[in-house]
Amino acid sequence: MQTPISEQASQTSILGSVTTKSKFNRAARVRFTNKLFQSYFLFSILALCLVLALVIVFIAKTGFLTFETVSFKEFFLSFDWTPEEEHYGAAAFIVNTITLTGLTLIISVPISIAIAIFNAEIAPAWFRSFIRPVLDLLVGIPSIVYGYLGLTVLIPLLREWTGEDLADGMLAAALVLSLMILPTISRISDDAITAVPKKYREAAYALGSTRLQVILKVVVPAASRGIMTAVILGMTRAIGETMAVVMVIGNTAQIAKTLFTPASVLTSNIVMQISNVEFESTWNYALHMMAFLLLAISMILILVIRFLRAKGGAQA
Amino acid sequence: MNVFKKFTVLTLATMFVITSAFAGSAAAAGDTLKGKITINGSTALLPLTLQAAKEFQKLHPKVSFAASGKGSVTGPQAVKKGIADIGACDWDASTDVPGFKAFEGQVANKVAVIPFATVVNKNVGVDNLTTDQLKGIFSGKITNWKDVGGADEDIVVITRAFGSGTRVNYQAKALGGGDIVKKSKNYKEVGSSGDMKTAVATTPNSIGYIDLVYVSGDIKAVKYNGVEATADNVINGKYKIWSYGYYMTKGQPTGEVKAFIEYIQNKKFQTTTAKKMKFIPLSAMK
Repeated sequence: MQTPISEQASQTSILGSVTTKSKFNRAARVRFTNKLFQSYFLFSILALCLVLALVIVFIAKTGFLTFETVSFKEFFLSFDWTPEEEHYGAAAFIVNTITLTGLTLIISVPISIAIAIFNAEIAPAWFRSFIRPVLDLLVGIPSIVYGYLGLTVLIPLLREWTGEDLADGMLAAALVLSLMILPTISRISDDAITAVPKKYREAAYALGSTRLQVILKVVVPAASRGIMTAVILGMTRAIGETMAVVMVIGNTAQIAKTLFTPASVLTSNIVMQISNVEFESTWNYALHMMAFLLLAISMILILVIRFLRAKGGAQA
Repeated sequence: MNVFKKFTVLTLATMFVITSAFAGSAAAAGDTLKGKITINGSTALLPLTLQAAKEFQKLHPKVSFAASGKGSVTGPQAVKKGIADIGACDWDASTDVPGFKAFEGQVANKVAVIPFATVVNKNVGVDNLTTDQLKGIFSGKITNWKDVGGADEDIVVITRAFGSGTRVNYQAKALGGGDIVKKSKNYKEVGSSGDMKTAVATTPNSIGYIDLVYVSGDIKAVKYNGVEATADNVINGKYKIWSYGYYMTKGQPTGEVKAFIEYIQNKKFQTTTAKKMKFIPLSAMK
């Protein structure tokens, strides 16, 4: 905090000397533009916050109207979602969302961390500079393309391998999602592993460790907070992903008992039904409530990331 | 680009807009129709709406259009809320249909004829289904193709989400108001006609339903009670699974909205553009 003050002092003195020669009061002008930009930036931030707050308030307000006609217990604990017959139980979607996210993480986390470790520790420089843009490119592909590929390539393959009639369901959705979040997790983990100070590795080698021991016992634990952040970011993406999931999950409001039961998650159910319901109906409110649930889950996950980062920073 | 250049471009652009606006109004001298028509609702009718708007605008340049498609029920809803002048809907929203109450005070204007077809994957050997067989299949009572004269394979039922205009019409006309199964291992919902086509085309042993205009390539339309799904059979009254497409308006349409609806209903538009887009002319149904 010391340097800026001394810099500022020296700046003022330079400005002061200029002012005497200049027609305009330059110091005042600089102060004015600084102030102007400061308030402009502040305004931008506040405007953004306002918009976000409005979105949250609107979704929450609409969502909570559900409970005028549906009891809390029914919405969260009932598995019966047949809105056309006034049954608004969202439990199946909540359970399916959690299952799908879990399954996705089980598939993608080991693979993407392996990619990250290979990239950061083992791969030669040319390979690294080849694979990183490839991963970045995978992030940029629109999710609907993944969904379409899942529908036209993955599902027929699964059908052939398993002998299922439909093969839509959790496994297809989890595989598509895994491919989508893999680059996110592996790139951020990659950065975290690369950021581990060299001295740790050197010390470990000096003690006679093998390369595997250095990676598993020193580098990965040292980067674990960064890797955790990467996993949570991937998880938020998996929870919120809609278009790819809706194309391969089967969209049936029932709990997924097997990997190949057509099911539905919060996002896919919202997108399938929101355009077909009346504006002022319990059905519409219930869909908004489901959206609010998703928002709440993401918010909690982001808070967890903040918490982890803050702790990690204090330790380093 | 520096500030001066930006200003030049801006000025030129403004001048251009003003000039063309004058030119436009000059061409339309004597044309009393002006205003903006907002259309919302059914995606099935959207291509027809857009084409009609384009042609209508050539005749009446002072009328501008804002058209969007989301889902049948959003049409009458937007009209009710005053967001849109015209709500495109695949069913007559001024009457009750299963799942949706009538919209009071709205007038349904017929603008097109939309035939629907029962479709199956091309590996399915069955090519005729009766009303009872369809009811059995979609309600989940018949689960194997051998029960309706096909191979010994499980039936995969693919339907549209509840509230889809296609589903409302199919359920009313082809299934005689019968139920569609909700929870089953071989049951799947899709979000749009395009998804329906892809799903039926790529899923062996599947059955679904779709607008007749979409039937091509890897999906095949089956006969309904022995009648083939063709435009001719709709016109001569043999094929029953079809419905009118409606433009819902708040009360009787007036002014430019009335003129536009009349333009679409006109025999000339119906027999040229609408027919080219594979809708059946309204006049053919009388």
